[in-house]
Amino acid sequence: MPRPLTDQTPAAWSMAAPAVAGLALFVGLPFLVAFGLAFTSARLGSPLPVEFLGWEQFRRILADPAFLRALANNGLFAMVVVPLQTVLALGLALLLNQPLRGLPLFRTLFFMPVVFPMSLVAVVWVLLYAPGGTGPVNAFLGWLSFGAWSPRDFLHDPAWALPAIMLTSIWQGVGFQMVILLAGLQAIPAERYEAAAIDGAGGWGQFLHVTLPGLRNTLIFVVVVTSILAFRLFDQVRIMTQGGPGEASATVIYAAVRAAFERQQVARGAAMTVVFFLIVLAVTLLQRRLLRQER
Amino acid sequence: MAHSLRRAIRYLLLAAAAALMVAPVAIMVVGALKPDARVLPEAGTLQALFPGRLTLENFADVLGRTRFGLFLFNSLFINAAIVALGLAVNSLAGYALARLRWRGRGVVLAGVLALLVIPFEAIAVPLFWQVTLLGWRDTYLVQILPFTANAFAIYLFYTFFLELPRELEEAARVDGAGPWRTYLAVVVPNARPAFASVAVLTFLTQWGAFLWPLMVTSGPAVRPLPVAIATFFTQPPLQWGDILAFGVMMVAPVLLLFLLFQGWFVRGVAASGIKG
Amino acid sequence: MRGLIAGLLLLAALSLAACGEESSAPPGADDGPVRLRVWVHSGQPGERAVIRDQVARFNAAEPGVQVELTVIPEGGYNAQVQAAALAGDLPDVLEFDGPFLYSYAWQGHLRPLDGLLPAAVRDDLLPSLAAQGSWNGRLYAVGAFDSGLGLWGRKSLLEAVGARLPAGPDAAWSATEFAQLLERLAERDSDGAVLDLKLNYTGEWFTYAFSPVLQSAGADLVTRAPPLRAGGVLDSGEAVAALRRVQDWIRAGRVDPNLDDAAFTGGRVALSWAGHWEYPRYRKAVGDDLVLLPLPDFGAGSRTGQGSWNWAITTRCDRPEAAARFLGFLLQPDEVLAMTAANGAVPGTRRAVARSPLYGPAGPLRLFVAQLGENAVPRPRTPAYPVITSAFQKAFQDIRNGLDVEEALRRAAALIDQDIQDNRGYRAVE
Repeated sequence: MPRPLTDQTPAAWSMAAPAVAGLALFVGLPFLVAFGLAFTSARLGSPLPVEFLGWEQFRRILADPAFLRALANNGLFAMVVVPLQTVLALGLALLLNQPLRGLPLFRTLFFMPVVFPMSLVAVVWVLLYAPGGTGPVNAFLGWLSFGAWSPRDFLHDPAWALPAIMLTSIWQGVGFQMVILLAGLQAIPAERYEAAAIDGAGGWGQFLHVTLPGLRNTLIFVVVVTSILAFRLFDQVRIMTQGGPGEASATVIYAAVRAAFERQQVARGAAMTVVFFLIVLAVTLLQRRLLRQER
Repeated sequence: MAHSLRRAIRYLLLAAAAALMVAPVAIMVVGALKPDARVLPEAGTLQALFPGRLTLENFADVLGRTRFGLFLFNSLFINAAIVALGLAVNSLAGYALARLRWRGRGVVLAGVLALLVIPFEAIAVPLFWQVTLLGWRDTYLVQILPFTANAFAIYLFYTFFLELPRELEEAARVDGAGPWRTYLAVVVPNARPAFASVAVLTFLTQWGAFLWPLMVTSGPAVRPLPVAIATFFTQPPLQWGDILAFGVMMVAPVLLLFLLFQGWFVRGVAASGIKG
Repeated sequence: MRGLIAGLLLLAALSLAACGEESSAPPGADDGPVRLRVWVHSGQPGERAVIRDQVARFNAAEPGVQVELTVIPEGGYNAQVQAAALAGDLPDVLEFDGPFLYSYAWQGHLRPLDGLLPAAVRDDLLPSLAAQGSWNGRLYAVGAFDSGLGLWGRKSLLEAVGARLPAGPDAAWSATEFAQLLERLAERDSDGAVLDLKLNYTGEWFTYAFSPVLQSAGADLVTRAPPLRAGGVLDSGEAVAALRRVQDWIRAGRVDPNLDDAAFTGGRVALSWAGHWEYPRYRKAVGDDLVLLPLPDFGAGSRTGQGSWNWAITTRCDRPEAAARFLGFLLQPDEVLAMTAANGAVPGTRRAVARSPLYGPAGPLRLFVAQLGENAVPRPRTPAYPVITSAFQKAFQDIRNGLDVEEALRRAAALIDQDIQDNRGYRAVE
């Protein structure tokens, strides 16, 4: 006796309800609250009454050179790390996409940092960036340049703090991108390469006309995920540099957490959060447009 | 000749990249096995990698100075709960969206797709304010529940289930099974790769969580490892050997998991790229 | 669906309108001992061990009360207190760094102790601690010890370059003399770094240790009389000049980054700008070569820090008399001396100071007691303190990293004044 094709609303809601409730309470609601809070004077634990301030919090943060610097740092981070990490990940993926012996071992080694919690990575890299000749990174650069490198205190140097965090982030994250790109490479049918070879394309020609077009969507995905990660930057900043020197390595989320959690200025933090969300939204919409223009 | 030369260059590139990737880990492991006073002075020398005499003192120190066992338990418990609850809740929702006909399906699907855009950092501040007002800090729940229902996981399940062959479910329906029984008896056993992929991705994104537990845990009772090491790192006396030993102990269980289930890890990450 | 949206909006409205309502628990029913939740900061390892012993002793002596300790890391301690206060899960007894008292009392988190602690206990407190623990004419907190800040030196290295050793704060080195001394020491030092400023520390240390530099130059963090203001004080010419000197020491390479906190104990530097808590460790490492000296004089006399961690009873506590007994226990001379033997601090009560081997008339740390009279400046006693210290810490970090001193101080002052304005001058809220 087969069941007739009926409306399955009750069963479906019973299945979807926990997830819908969870998303509503822990994503949707706080999201609305962020917009609500940003227009008030709310401070944690202040005995003063909460007032509606309109756009005041936004006016303040956008007039605050420290916050603008944090925004610029996020942008700079994205502009350097996204291309660099994507190119490195693609290079590693191409190297691994060959019939060579011992490749699984290399894949394991490249992917290994991904399972390291970022807070641990940050602590270890504080040691690696130790100032003076005893610091591993300084010593390595000295060895590489035959002693021409003069040791620096990376994490306390306005010019080096952010680049140091970039390197740490790339080290931890490149394996993740590599695995995604490797899967994309392996999904490209071999016939296409054969056809290109018949047409007389060399290795470089095959890369340009087969590999890159075949990887198009994967690359867009990787670029977008890395860009959004660049704007979510927090753990390394908090542990390695506390946003310093000056605002040289401050980021939007770090500024928001400092305001809300360390200075109890929840409304100000919420306003920064809203700005952050609008940036992420812009990046995502850009991705969707790019994907829609396909072929 | 040219062929073997090209191969040699490839191996050389791979070896150089591998050396750069492994060096920080090696320095960490070796430093953890050296007497404290030698870690920093020798960090820039070859002894950072080839220490000579080894000692397990630092590990004993860490176990004596901190409640490492408690932090490890907290991390494992919180992450196991997030993964297990998340698999159940998100797969059910994904299944309902992919296979059932119901009023509200379109709205819920649109909602899930819309929420995909919101990273956790965008809601951390208001959520912190909410749970604090509710008096809801320093618990396991406050570290588990907000991460259980996850739009990305629902979306992944939804796309996986769309690809499942319908015949299996048809057979169950003919036998008179309702949606729940079909899901339990047919979908779950046939979608193991989907569950494994989502489990791995959830674990990878949650295991290192730092921002949220930093804001909602005060004492050590429910503090997870990522916050514990940051705290240990700033707590006098500052002893690098101990800090690195803490790090080794903290990452060892996950590395072990990773080496055992490497295929699943790689497949899970790859899946996120293909579906995304 | 429309119902769902309406419900969500209602929830949002509710949580926006919610004001941290205190759900007062019923007074502990008589079914066993009174549980007292106590928060302490993690501090130095020796301090942690002593407080654990003290709690064990108290619990054994008072079967009717059971104290439960939670150790909270120092970094972000105030943030944790604020969050817990809002969540309504503050402990019964709270330890905190002295100058945060005014903020907590202003927010209504603390109970006055005047009626809870016996007069004999209150009168035994050092005047500096009684002042630190009072706000608006009431006593809110008591400390078992006060702090001392000075320069720890290796006598042999200092004498080798012919340095004169100041006998007391009045004879302190002038800032110029101090800079010259650093250069002379550097000539005999392998890496030229001869001074430790504890740059490895985080948080409150920077305000505690370097705001005295401002006061020694005739400047300050904020005005000490109403109206409360940082502009024109924290960024005054005197303040900028004094901190430029500090920055010059760092720029010249005279300051050890101290990444391993072993600059002084490992023999890398001759001088360490540090607090009383280093005495046990330094004494062990250096022995009789250890000498304690006053901080340099930047023109208006040698100034130093004071104030330390102290104890208060929160408004969440429903058995304040039990909590007060615990505080009274910690202030007994034996207990005070047990703690100060471990951390080298100035005993916080008159009776304990009199019996202290370290702080007696011939004790090695007598300087700290001498300083508490004239030279030690309390940190500003205002509810704005959390913001003041956060802003100054940031400014000091920037100065340490070579950024422009005037710019850093101007920003800090602006941030503080904005906060004072946002909080209507922190007038007491009735």
